[in-house]
Amino acid sequence: MTPPALRWILVGCLLAVGCSGNEESYPSKEIKLIVQASPGGASDMVSRVMASLAEGHLNVPIVCEYKPGASGALAFSFVARRPSDGYTIGHAPVEIAIVRSLGYADIGPSDVSLICLVSKTAPALVVHPDSPWQSFEDFIAAAKAEAGNIVMANSGIGSIWHFNILLLEQGTGARFTHLPYGGSAPALVSVIGRHSDAAVAGVGEVISHVRAGSLRALAVFDAGRAGVMAEVPTTHELGYPIGAPAWSGFYGPAGIPAERVAMLADAFKAAFGTAEWADFCRELGMEALYLGREDFAEFALEQQRFFESQIPQLVRLENP
Amino acid sequence: MAEILAGLSAVLAWQVLGFLAIGVCLGAVFGALPGLTATMGVALLTPLTFWVSPEQGLAMLLGIYCGTIPSGGIPAILINVPGTPASIAASWDGYALTRKGQAGLALGINALASTTGQLTSIAFLAFLAFPVASFALRFGPAEYFGLTLLGVSLMAGVSGGHVLKGVLAGTLGLALALVGLDPMTAYPRYTFGMSEFLDGISFVPVMIGLFGLGEVLVQVSDRQSVRASTAAAIGRVLPRIADAKRMARATFSGAAVGTMVGAIPAAGGDIGAVIAWEQARRTSSDGDSFGKGSLSGLAASCSACNAAIGGGMTTMLTLGIPGDAVSAILIGALLIHGIQPGPLLFANNQAFVFSIVFLMIFASLLIMVIGILGARPLAKVLSIPAPWLWAGIIVFGTVGAYALNNAVSDVWAMYAAGLAGFLFRKMQIPLGPLVLGLILGPLMESNLRRALILSRGDWSAMLTRPILLVFLAATALSLLWPLIRAKRGAAGRNQAAIGDA
Repeated sequence: MTPPALRWILVGCLLAVGCSGNEESYPSKEIKLIVQASPGGASDMVSRVMASLAEGHLNVPIVCEYKPGASGALAFSFVARRPSDGYTIGHAPVEIAIVRSLGYADIGPSDVSLICLVSKTAPALVVHPDSPWQSFEDFIAAAKAEAGNIVMANSGIGSIWHFNILLLEQGTGARFTHLPYGGSAPALVSVIGRHSDAAVAGVGEVISHVRAGSLRALAVFDAGRAGVMAEVPTTHELGYPIGAPAWSGFYGPAGIPAERVAMLADAFKAAFGTAEWADFCRELGMEALYLGREDFAEFALEQQRFFESQIPQLVRLENP
Repeated sequence: MAEILAGLSAVLAWQVLGFLAIGVCLGAVFGALPGLTATMGVALLTPLTFWVSPEQGLAMLLGIYCGTIPSGGIPAILINVPGTPASIAASWDGYALTRKGQAGLALGINALASTTGQLTSIAFLAFLAFPVASFALRFGPAEYFGLTLLGVSLMAGVSGGHVLKGVLAGTLGLALALVGLDPMTAYPRYTFGMSEFLDGISFVPVMIGLFGLGEVLVQVSDRQSVRASTAAAIGRVLPRIADAKRMARATFSGAAVGTMVGAIPAAGGDIGAVIAWEQARRTSSDGDSFGKGSLSGLAASCSACNAAIGGGMTTMLTLGIPGDAVSAILIGALLIHGIQPGPLLFANNQAFVFSIVFLMIFASLLIMVIGILGARPLAKVLSIPAPWLWAGIIVFGTVGAYALNNAVSDVWAMYAAGLAGFLFRKMQIPLGPLVLGLILGPLMESNLRRALILSRGDWSAMLTRPILLVFLAATALSLLWPLIRAKRGAAGRNQAAIGDA
């Protein structure tokens, strides 16, 4: 090999090293977004729509991967163990504040770097349209009159909508016979088919049945009325300030550098501001709500404290 | 009539039909590879559909849906490894035909009967949607328990010479289904403290292991293979007219059974196919040939598992209730495009319903053409030297098991199931009941317990439900029938019975 050729190779190597030094500018490669549920559900849709709207602002693709199982505990633990370089993030549903109280995994909002919150979904109480209960008051009165006579379908023990049923019992003194299903869809089917009397599920999950007249909504568990069901009263209006919403946010492993978290949060905030996101939330019956890093952390920790204090009590309530 | 034409004209655009064709081809690939499911295909492509028109997106998703199930029968027929749980029943007669050197005919019948099943169920969707849906809504917890019990019992009763071995495998499947969170109380059972077990043992890796890896191990240990013995004979693809006439009854009654079972939420082609197969066997004059390469048996099971697609779509469109995981994703996709499935859809937007009907008809015809034209090239798999094929099955099985949930634990489950599959085959214990038990176990258990919650713990109150009684009677018959038949005389008796499925 002639010396000039060797020189050029050396120059080439130096250039390559020099270029790789510049790679420190974040983000320079695709970001993985770990979704804690199967493809097709609300978590997946939120993650994918947000990813597609935010990736333009980061100039790298955001790719969704799925690790369903154990109410999300598997995905939360997986993300927490990844390097904190900002290239692996996750979708944070309300369950991230619950799984520790349920004993599924020793992880909670304080063990990860929270990025931001993007949406919230309130629960709604529904009955069959041919049922005698025209209002929330009718329903509660009936449930109190004969304890356990009303069969209440839930979307699974330990799910957020099941907690809302327990909160309803606790807050009103009503007592139901609980019929657990593996998700909101079969629980709602059992009410539509009149195999059970009532169910609690997310506003977005019941809205299509309510519009079609196959279910009647009696109350939304929230302080303010839901945009898509403005005619339905809220529990707060009716004098029962109860309700624990589901929500969607994003997080990464603990210790991601603050400026990277800020870049991610800015990209999601820009995505949040688009008309597409507003339309998407309206279609799915969710409330578009943005909380930045500090506000989200405060909110998530407050939620965790709420579930830590409520779950032992509620579980006792169910098994007297 | 105007709505029908409007629905047709909305989909008669080359872009729409192009996306439909892409979907069907992708579905065919997903169905033929055991680890990849229709659910996964539809879910992965849903985001793509946000950037195209609703018709184009829907065309692609429906194409995948209609393409997957027919192609799931292909590996079941050629190498005895069902591509989806719905094709377990197809492997009984299909693989037997392959061993007789009639792989081409088996693939041809799979293509024709699958499309017949789909088209029949689409006709139900177009003209009888509401009666079908109201039948589906009558299924409460007690009825679900009866249906799933019947499904597992039929599988146990028919998929081996010995009913007891079938029951053993079915019970083992049900026992494996107990692993994970208790469906009623969320208490972890048999998890040994590992969070990987909280959601139970997923059936896809178990199915790949039992059928795929297990089959490979058996062939390796036998030091011979079907390919050597039949010299990779393919034979004719299209059945003779006389054969087609003889299969017609089994095909159409299979389609009716599949449509009704598919319409029931959470029940699908896997139960539908085994019920249809058994029904065809019992009503056939040549019932003893079933499981040993019966054309009618193959046609009935292929037709039924495909008819479940139209049944599931009927429930989804009329009630807004997903019939299976795929239609759950389709509902989400429709909502994003601003279309609300439910009774109002039929009242307000009938043209759209007919668009779906026509898209499904086109997809169904396209997969038939692909299936028939592809039969010869696909059957060439049989002339691949056995060691290469074995290696391929192991690689695809490993990737498929991992791809399901991106979990290494599923790969271990696949290997463990492979060893079990090997031992079971050696002991002539059928594998179908184990897989069906594992799939239906959670549905059976939770619905029995729901039924008991509703009856306040009173077992006798459940017996007042007529649909349940029919199922229980059929269950008893399916388990006792072989004994009765054996007693009735040695003439009809046949110990070797049904293949090695």
